[in-house]
Amino acid sequence: MESLFAQLLTTAFLATFIRSVVPLLLTGLGGLFSERSGVVNIALDGLIIFGALAGAVTTLALEPSLGALAPWLGWLAGAVVGGLIAWVHAVVSIKYRADQVISGTAINLLAAGVPAVILTALYGSSTESPKVQNALPLWGFGELRFSPPVFFALLAVLVTWYVLYRTPYGLRLRATGEHPGAAASMGVNVRRMRYSGVILSGILAGTAGVFLSIGNLDSYVRNISAGLGFISLAALIFGQWKPLGVLGATVLFGFLQALSITLGGTNLLPPTLVGALPYLITIVALAFTGRSAAPKALGKPLDG
Amino acid sequence: MTHLPDSRLSPAAARIALTASAAAAAGLLLFPLATLGRGFDADPVLLHLSGTVINLSANPDAPLPPTGTVLALGWAALALAVASVVGALRRAPWVWLTGLLTAMLGIAAVVTLGLGLNEQTARIAADTTLRPGFKRQLRSFYESGGMNLALFLTVLGGLMTAGAGLSRFPAWWERFNRLRGLLVPAVAISLAVLVGAVVVLVVQPAVNASGTPLTPWTGWLAKSDLVYFVYSTLFAPVTALNPLLESLKLATPLIFTGLSVAFAFRTGLFNIGAPGQLTMGAILAMLVGVYGPASLGWGLLPLSVLAAALGGALWGAIPGVLKARFGSSEVINTIMLNYVASAIFIFLIGSNTFTFLGREYSLPFKAEGFEPASQELQEGARLPTLLNLFNVGAQGTTALTVAPLAALLVYAAARLALRRTPRGGWLALGAALLAAVLTWRVGIPVTVIGSQLNASFLIALACVGLFGVLMWRTATGYALRAVGLSPRAAEYGGISVARGTILAMTLAGMFAGLAGTHYVNGGALDEYRLKANMPVSVGFDGIAVALMGQNTPAGVMAASLLFGTIDTGSVGVQRLENISRDIVVVLKALIVLFIAAGGFLSRRVTDPPPPQLAGATGGGGNAVPAVVGLTPSVAAQERATPNPNVTVASETNKEVTQGES
Repeated sequence: MESLFAQLLTTAFLATFIRSVVPLLLTGLGGLFSERSGVVNIALDGLIIFGALAGAVTTLALEPSLGALAPWLGWLAGAVVGGLIAWVHAVVSIKYRADQVISGTAINLLAAGVPAVILTALYGSSTESPKVQNALPLWGFGELRFSPPVFFALLAVLVTWYVLYRTPYGLRLRATGEHPGAAASMGVNVRRMRYSGVILSGILAGTAGVFLSIGNLDSYVRNISAGLGFISLAALIFGQWKPLGVLGATVLFGFLQALSITLGGTNLLPPTLVGALPYLITIVALAFTGRSAAPKALGKPLDG
Repeated sequence: MTHLPDSRLSPAAARIALTASAAAAAGLLLFPLATLGRGFDADPVLLHLSGTVINLSANPDAPLPPTGTVLALGWAALALAVASVVGALRRAPWVWLTGLLTAMLGIAAVVTLGLGLNEQTARIAADTTLRPGFKRQLRSFYESGGMNLALFLTVLGGLMTAGAGLSRFPAWWERFNRLRGLLVPAVAISLAVLVGAVVVLVVQPAVNASGTPLTPWTGWLAKSDLVYFVYSTLFAPVTALNPLLESLKLATPLIFTGLSVAFAFRTGLFNIGAPGQLTMGAILAMLVGVYGPASLGWGLLPLSVLAAALGGALWGAIPGVLKARFGSSEVINTIMLNYVASAIFIFLIGSNTFTFLGREYSLPFKAEGFEPASQELQEGARLPTLLNLFNVGAQGTTALTVAPLAALLVYAAARLALRRTPRGGWLALGAALLAAVLTWRVGIPVTVIGSQLNASFLIALACVGLFGVLMWRTATGYALRAVGLSPRAAEYGGISVARGTILAMTLAGMFAGLAGTHYVNGGALDEYRLKANMPVSVGFDGIAVALMGQNTPAGVMAASLLFGTIDTGSVGVQRLENISRDIVVVLKALIVLFIAAGGFLSRRVTDPPPPQLAGATGGGGNAVPAVVGLTPSVAAQERATPNPNVTVASETNKEVTQGES
């Protein structure tokens, strides 16, 4: 037992822990914007993949001419592409009133095929991109050196909380998700609010992807998200669709994930089973809280 | 009621005819007419309607088949297509005839071309002066030839023009109206194909092995040939026996998972958990198949298959119970359970030891070797391959029995003849069985390399039947459909929504779990083991299959066969340097996206109000023009149970179940 605690109290574990939390947190906050506006977003996992791919491809393309500036534009590209793909989800589910779960599934299926097609066309390999020379810089000291999206994620929690609860936009967004009819009668443009919520979710999930491909690693590899989008979705539900709740849930799930990474070398618990804990916790939490905390109009297209 | 005096085409039909015939005419002028030969790197010899031959292949001196007749037929088709355009503009009643003739001329051109190419192949085969390797190369060069984009568009455009023209006649209108349900999938596929074509054009430069530089015009023809090459390669598996068997093999798990998703859909539930259910089914099938008592012999097989069904059913029942009891969303729970199942899977076969709180325990499941896989199944738990099952040839030869084909034909004929007789269905079934028994020993000799297409395909067919009978011929199925269409009304009618939810998820899980038999008992991954490379993503493909099949068993079957075919064909498109076989994954995803958006079609087109209603409101004249007042047969309406709106249904579903508990 002591050996475990000794292992968990190192800065190396802390660094792994933070690196596990950040993509979950970014994606979870993204999901928050979409679902608080009333649009189910199970496409988060696909959005992460698109963001990661766009980040790596853009950095690789701009590197020769721009050098160290390239990954920053890669980040921008990842966020924009994430937002664009999310916009497709928004158009299909808001304008064409499609079932939001089906539309999200379609985006996830796209994310399973498009990267291979693009990578084959650009680099001749269907599974990974070449390594970028200039990844995002690392800031910090000692072992605790992180790429900028890490700090961005911490900032994003505060900003999200502030936007959601202290600005007119946040009030309208929440109203749209709770009772679109009432919001519309008060002059809120429900469709526009929903578009903005879904696109914001794409931008944040895309940023999470950028963190994975050129912040944490230095290339895009197949299946880079490894289901992170779905853990984030779980964290969003476990965190009761609230910014600080999402922070708490992602810290817990990130801890479990870091634990399963660290446990790979120890003899305490089977890491595969620890890795499954977030999913089990979510199932149990969902059973006990029901959907009482969910936005009331989640998943329902606006009539008229 | 007064549609007869106006014999002109309805405006909508005229518009369709105009678009289709204009596409045929433009296609003939703008795209290559035919491929006269094609090298291994997809380098073509193209023929254009103008008579120019553009040789881009690495084989500049190859003798080419005569093209005079083909060109003449092409020009005649062009003239007729232009006539159709004029006719469509004037909404003339004879458009169907010119359309039909255009298509027939197109087909004639394709046949002529095929005969010419066959002549070349025969000449090569008879030529003894050629080296065997070069001979094979030349044969494949001519065999890869055939029609190209222009002739394809001619046939398609001609048929569509003919269809639009024929819709003027009430009998044909009635016939087309019954196919309206196919409209959304068909439009979705067409749109996906178009987007896929754009992708191909963007990522793949024109293939040119000839060394002569391309002019803008030949470059355009070569580019458009790429599109035709990719799609013809994707659908090529239907033309030969071995790829066809491979397609059926890849379609088998899709049938299972498609049925699983469709079954839940019908009850207003969204089962994204097919991958997890498949995994659990495969694990249980493996446990019984490997560790079941050997004394049972072949009795182990049914036990193992049942175990697969049970594993899937249990894994499906969990979200069902959670939804019925706590109202928690089955979408989230099935996603979560997929990951739990995958963790259990890796835990069991990933390693032989695990440590828990410092102590080491051992697991017996993983077999020796680098790759994670279970022990091999006992002989008695293996499903036979269909080649073995249907082989009636003498020792050492392969001859496939014609019995299934005979049974199918007899069934269809008897069904048609006895359609007015009560119990005609059962009589037809009996006749079919008799035909199968009688023709069992009659075999067609075939040359085939082994195929792992196995008896789980037959289990899948049985499941298709079970789905249909259960859903539309039993009280349980009626209850489940009622829950899907309107949970509150169902509850009011005395149907337990909670029970329906649990039952639907359990059965959906069972269908997905049975897909495990394909991989474990059927040895679809070349070994009779549970292997880590089992493609659980077929569970997600099941969603695409169910949507495309409109949640009907026959539709699921057809969609699975389609997807199995293009999955098999996707190997061939990799002959192009820049194209990944994953382009089919993109196509499937686009199909799902476009079906979700209703094919971007107006509700008035996909789901028009009944004619009586349309007449009353004075609207709807656009979609049902010529024959307002013609009542579609009631039987057809009954068969086409509408699909429930999943999201809305599940919301109310939850309220009802919670109110109960």
